[in-house]
Amino acid sequence: MVTLDDIANAGLLQKPSDNAPEALERSQSNYKPLHSFALPKDRQYQQQFADIYFLRLTKIKPAVEKVASIAWEGTVIGGERAKKVERVLDVRQGELCWVTGTVYIDMALKPNILEDVSKDRWISAPPSIDHYFSEEGHDAVMLEDDSGRIRLIGDTLKDFFMVTGCIVAVMGTENANGEFQVLDLKFADLPPQPERWELSKPPKPVKSKAKVKDGDVEMTDSPATAQGGKKMAIVSGLEFSGTDTSYTVELNLLLEYLLGEALDPMAQQNELAHISRLIIAGNSIAAEQKTHVEMDTGKGGKPGVHKKYGYDSSSYNPIPSQLLDEFLSELLPSMPVTLLPGALDPANASYPQQPIHAAMFPKSRAYTPLPGAAEHGWLDAVTNPWEGEVDGWRVLGTGGQNLDDVFKYVNSDDRLGMMEAMCRWRCSAPTAPDTLWAYPFQEDEPFVMKECPHMYFVGCQPEFGTKIIQGPDGQMVRLIAVPSFADTREIVLVDSETLDVSRVKITTGTGTSE
Amino acid sequence: MDVYKKFLAENILTEEKVITYRLLSRALHVHPNTAKQMLYDFHKSQNDKRPGAVHATYLVYGIKASGDLSSAPQNGADGDVEMTSSMPEVDSLDNTVPTFILTLIQEQHLKDALSEYEEVSSIHVYSVGPHPAKDLSLLADVANEALRLGPDGSKNPAAIGNSRVRRRERPGAGAKNVAVAVTAARGPAPATKVVQEEPKAAAAASLFKTTTTSKVKEEEPAAKPPPGSSKVASSAPEKKAPPALKRGGSGSSGGIMQAFSKAAATKAKKAEIWQPAIPSGDDSSIQPMSDDGEDDSEMIPQPKAAGPSSTTRKNREARAEELRRMMEEDDEEEDEEEKEESRPDSPVDEEPMEVEPAEEPAAVPEKAEKVEVTGDGRRRGKRKVVRKKQIMDDQGYLVTIQEDAWESFSEDDKPAPPPSFKQKTTGSASSTQSTAASSKSKKAAGPKGSQGSIRSFFSKN
Repeated sequence: MVTLDDIANAGLLQKPSDNAPEALERSQSNYKPLHSFALPKDRQYQQQFADIYFLRLTKIKPAVEKVASIAWEGTVIGGERAKKVERVLDVRQGELCWVTGTVYIDMALKPNILEDVSKDRWISAPPSIDHYFSEEGHDAVMLEDDSGRIRLIGDTLKDFFMVTGCIVAVMGTENANGEFQVLDLKFADLPPQPERWELSKPPKPVKSKAKVKDGDVEMTDSPATAQGGKKMAIVSGLEFSGTDTSYTVELNLLLEYLLGEALDPMAQQNELAHISRLIIAGNSIAAEQKTHVEMDTGKGGKPGVHKKYGYDSSSYNPIPSQLLDEFLSELLPSMPVTLLPGALDPANASYPQQPIHAAMFPKSRAYTPLPGAAEHGWLDAVTNPWEGEVDGWRVLGTGGQNLDDVFKYVNSDDRLGMMEAMCRWRCSAPTAPDTLWAYPFQEDEPFVMKECPHMYFVGCQPEFGTKIIQGPDGQMVRLIAVPSFADTREIVLVDSETLDVSRVKITTGTGTSE
Repeated sequence: MDVYKKFLAENILTEEKVITYRLLSRALHVHPNTAKQMLYDFHKSQNDKRPGAVHATYLVYGIKASGDLSSAPQNGADGDVEMTSSMPEVDSLDNTVPTFILTLIQEQHLKDALSEYEEVSSIHVYSVGPHPAKDLSLLADVANEALRLGPDGSKNPAAIGNSRVRRRERPGAGAKNVAVAVTAARGPAPATKVVQEEPKAAAAASLFKTTTTSKVKEEEPAAKPPPGSSKVASSAPEKKAPPALKRGGSGSSGGIMQAFSKAAATKAKKAEIWQPAIPSGDDSSIQPMSDDGEDDSEMIPQPKAAGPSSTTRKNREARAEELRRMMEEDDEEEDEEEKEESRPDSPVDEEPMEVEPAEEPAAVPEKAEKVEVTGDGRRRGKRKVVRKKQIMDDQGYLVTIQEDAWESFSEDDKPAPPPSFKQKTTGSASSTQSTAASSKSKKAAGPKGSQGSIRSFFSKN
């Protein structure tokens, strides 16, 4: 409980003094983006998607089989020894065995391309369904590889999150109906984790200098909230809007907070100056519901619907991107920014989303790298998903579509659990390309996690959440579900040394308690 | 020292404005922290004189008492995890995440708000206004005003500095100049077209001449690199020579052979359309587009449609190279340029993305089964095509059937010219000349083919 008397005449609640406030220097961000999800400029869309599944299976299968053989080698059930079977087709009825393959889940509400084609339905926007599973339990889980597929049954399946595209090993027997009775199930689990500072060097001299500085300056009463370490801020769903101004004040406060103009000198120095980087995890621009629909049908090539064929410039509202540009251009002189696109942002719709083009930011563009420059920019527009090393930690982040899509498969609200499952499947977007639109990769499957991140964040989630998961080899992953700022007015701060998470919620007077 | 009191008195008491610390800081060029104290001092002194004279809002930052906000969603999420998944056991190490609350609150609610806090690490006056703030969202407008007041827009001395900030280097004299140069280089584009009409419309020739030359001259001083622009100016007339010649030849033949060889006519049309596009520096503008890696594959034929003359071509290439270099320095010009390109003369309106202006006029009627020209000069007709139809049969398999169908078409939906028309273009120049074919080719091409140019033609007069 704080009362008015406690704070009277504290800090800034006094007459202006003559001594000029000293200029603060922000902590530096040690940053190295990886371009794991960058697509070639000359993309082709003629290929089939099957290669993605094949590549994924090839990449993850050895790991799954290793886990499975450790777990099941020599298992004897009912007097029968479990045998490893190479291919799904080799499963023999009545024999206890285990086999590895890709999960495919047939769901009642899942969009079906064959159905669309046969009904001559051509839509350009992904259908927006809340979930794919049906409550009656008609969903069929199958295991398939390049040889064939087999239906999986058994109560064991209910114990796990399962989505199309994840790679699992199952042990059990095929019954008389040709279905595979699953007794146990294994994932690849977390991939090997790189050491900290694997790609970049720790900034030793900078660190010590910062400490000296800390020591120098009026540390008379050590504030309890001051946590000396550097921080990175993660925000998502800023949703700058041309029409909805209900959270403009909060956005302004966020800007002042990040800039270090708000709060008193103590807080500025101990907290705000240590925020070394802002990561924007998607949805910086709000959806303009009506115009979206219009533009989609227009582009979909139905001239009958609209008089104007093609792009209608009158439906374009430049204000959201202008606001975002202003926000960034204010912030950039003080803080580097990593910008991931999200579902609503002006980037390609399919995964992996490519960086938002610099032409969107006439003011902030001065901070982007020159085309073709090797070095990353101060404003770094990156892909979604994105991988990089921030302050030595390997970070994997997405704009949220991958988790949102997995969420539609599973009858659960446990988004952190799904994030964990994705790590343990070693796949950051398992449902691509089935229900999550994706580029038809031919040579590589970038969604496979080759290395375990230290931190995995997913943007644009309904609420904040975090936890740490551990792997069999001592891997530790910090999972963060970053809430949408437009809905929750929250941002997430992550300590660069400990990966401890704190959050900042911005409220305005009448909205909270009254 | 008391400047701020005067400023605040004027703005708050007299003009009844709301003043935030940011606005004050920027208006008086003081540090925001000082501005916060100024607001506090003003608020206190005014209310000491007359209670309720001014009203403040406060920004409070700290940790709220646990139980309401900080832990509820957190525990809910964590509690679920272990129940549903029986994956390798996970001990979530932290259950509580510290949540800092930043609250903007009116002074009348300050007490209540503070009582919810467990600990306040920072509080200061956010704004002072003449009335109790009812709607805090009004402060957003003040914030916008503050942004506008900011010293030259981007520099913000108040914020926490960052010595490592990197901006994009802009080589040369800066964006403005380059932009001017580019538009200048573009300027002659309509001019060339006008000049092209010259031999044909002999009566009006002198008038056009003056306009074109003056136009070119106008642009010349504006252009930044003098060699570049002079090249533009010189290359434009040079470039004009072959098409003008052709026109002259065909024009002399009169309208007798109007029904002559449609193919030749269309080819000639193509040549005409593409030709003027080249001296206007189109290819150079397209080149940087490929930086974006999107959708410009149809554009590629353009540079290939080189004119017959090799010297002019060399000139052009050199100049294009130069332009391209300028272009790659900044893509702002690219945008501007595209606007310029899409409508050389009409006032720029709000269609920033119209990229392929040259495409439409270039479209040419293809060989079709039945073609008829309707009264308004549009071509309509029917053609036979093989359609693929996919149906799902009763077993759930997709079956593709091919069937013949008649499809009607009109000029609107003709495909873009095939990329292989380079030979055609050069070939057509000679063939048109040798056969002395048809003023029709030119007449049909003029109005229909280059809509952009006809518009510019009229706006010139």
